[in-house]
Amino acid sequence: MEVNKLFDEYYEKSLFQGGSTCCPGCGGPMFWRMALEAIGSNSIIYGDGPCAGCAIRNIKLPTFGIHFSFAADGATGIVAALNAKGRNDVTVISAAGDGATGDISFGKISAAAERNENMIQICIDNEAYMNTGIQKSGLTPYGAWTTTTPQGKEAPKKRIPMIIAQHRVPYVATISVAYPRDLKAKITKAKSISGFKYLHTVMPCPTGWRFDPAKSVEVVRLGVETWAWPLYEVENGVLRLTLKPKQRPIEDYLKAQARFRHLNKEQIDYVQQEVNNERQRLLDFDGKSVIT
Amino acid sequence: MGIIRMLEGNEAAAWGAKLARAEVVPAYPITPQTELISTIASFIANGEMKAQYIKVEGEHTAMAAAIGASAAGARVFTASASQGIVFMEEALWMPPGMRLPIVMCMVNRAMAPIGGLRPDHNDSLLQRDTGWIQFYCENSQEILDTVIQAYKVGEDKRVYLPVAVCYDGYFASATATPTSIPDQKEVDDYLPPYKHEMYNLMPGEFRTIRGFPQNIAKARYEVQKATEKAKGVIEEVDKSYGEIFGRYYDGALEEYACDGIEAVFMTMGSMTGTARDVIDEIQAEGKKVGLIKMRCFRPFPTEELRKLAKKYKVIGIVDRNTSYGSASGSGIVAMEVARALYSLDDRPLLLNFHVGLGGSDVTMRQIRYIADKVLDAYQTGKAEDETDWVELKDLGEVM
Repeated sequence: MEVNKLFDEYYEKSLFQGGSTCCPGCGGPMFWRMALEAIGSNSIIYGDGPCAGCAIRNIKLPTFGIHFSFAADGATGIVAALNAKGRNDVTVISAAGDGATGDISFGKISAAAERNENMIQICIDNEAYMNTGIQKSGLTPYGAWTTTTPQGKEAPKKRIPMIIAQHRVPYVATISVAYPRDLKAKITKAKSISGFKYLHTVMPCPTGWRFDPAKSVEVVRLGVETWAWPLYEVENGVLRLTLKPKQRPIEDYLKAQARFRHLNKEQIDYVQQEVNNERQRLLDFDGKSVIT
Repeated sequence: MGIIRMLEGNEAAAWGAKLARAEVVPAYPITPQTELISTIASFIANGEMKAQYIKVEGEHTAMAAAIGASAAGARVFTASASQGIVFMEEALWMPPGMRLPIVMCMVNRAMAPIGGLRPDHNDSLLQRDTGWIQFYCENSQEILDTVIQAYKVGEDKRVYLPVAVCYDGYFASATATPTSIPDQKEVDDYLPPYKHEMYNLMPGEFRTIRGFPQNIAKARYEVQKATEKAKGVIEEVDKSYGEIFGRYYDGALEEYACDGIEAVFMTMGSMTGTARDVIDEIQAEGKKVGLIKMRCFRPFPTEELRKLAKKYKVIGIVDRNTSYGSASGSGIVAMEVARALYSLDDRPLLLNFHVGLGGSDVTMRQIRYIADKVLDAYQTGKAEDETDWVELKDLGEVM
């Protein structure tokens, strides 16, 4: 009873309605609960993700979407309408999954970045087309099993945050639901900046990654601790690692998810080497401009 | 009173959007629509027009931004042509179901690969099932007037549907004709600011009709009903517009020189101008053939057409489009006309012609040929079932 009361009281105040239809352990409701605390009530949420608007339906704010292939574009229209009405007080959030961001709407997000649209674009990245039943996307990592990569994905994951940073937008950051304080601080900062802000969050997906739904936060925390999911921000082109954890072996992260279970030692070594290289690059650029 | 200027069709459309005070214009360039959007860009740059111009990276985004802006309470204008219209087709399905009264010019151009840059109507007719209202205009004046009327029709709460103002590339888009530009004050009085009763995306005032409907058939029927209601609204708007601005377009169908006539043919778009001249000539020669101009293809003017059909023994339908493998190899307009008239007890004979495909000139001699065929059917009481590819006939023309 006491728990129920706490639950009710929390959702009374939260901008996210409890009782979503998302899979158990989905990072979506978790993400929006945290994010909305920083986003605030004077906002319009456009788009979808994770999984075709599943969590977005529970947001107690104006929401609008067209279809998953329409990332950033509808929000561009909303921003234009707000400008036409002289409403510069409203925050426009545009959310899209990894399939929209990395594949079908990649050009749209690039174009919105180039036009420096005044919105916060968020990629909600569960690393495959999970809503349609776990198919590979451009943001599926190397080696991951999906129903269209039954032997593991051959190509590496697209590095979208760095690609967007090269558009010379004012703010780019990576976030993780395992680090709520960092997540909220980055959203708060993004809100204070005018122009195109890009946030890329990892979205734990027990259904597609194959792990115990109780361990969502644990798994994505391992992502950060192994440097598979480094946390950084790029402000006006300058990179800053917001967390530099002591590096754990990548195997800890891979072994926690059955989607990587078929990887042999050689492949795991390859992933480790890739992570090491990327970690070194980030450390080298820490505090410096990444704009080429 | 307004002023009269020589305007190309694209300029006339831009004037229409300006006079309607469109607030958001997301657009992507494509021949032959480009002068339209560059004219709007100049209006905005000169400070003559106050609108947010979004230079999008493709037509799919143009329509999506239009949808977002329209839902967020802005009056939206955009334009495209041919490949661009088809590229945005995924987005084109959204505004009717979402009931967003976006106005878009479809500057007709043939589809690849057997096309070119010049016009036929396959690009816009391909969108006939999406739920967009479709007007087909003949010249600059009609384009300007129809853009303003389009907002009046689409934003009517009995309708709330997007409207396509279609006109032929080059023949209408790039031909300058004397155009009366209405006074801004009069347009403002005629067209009040856009306010959608079903939508508001502003925090604290949020309302929407979005979401999965419980009953899909019922939700679709709502859209169907709205298109039906649009017929009456189109008539009303044409009348009220005429009362203020002095120009009438006879709603959805115009009869030209049809007094005491029992054989007619039906055209759409810029070829109507040529047809008017031919009708004048042949009637002077004593040939009793009249002309019907189809101005509104969606909603299809079924009742109006049935009423007209009772007067006519023969109707020839001139299709500037192809529908490969269709019933009797017929054009798209002919198929619709046949369905509309089938339930009549006393049906006129129908003939079907293909002309002007890929934007080839529709000549006076071709129109004469069509008129003669119609007259022949009238006299013999017989009509060929097969669609007549007029351009393949040797009419003794040097093309």
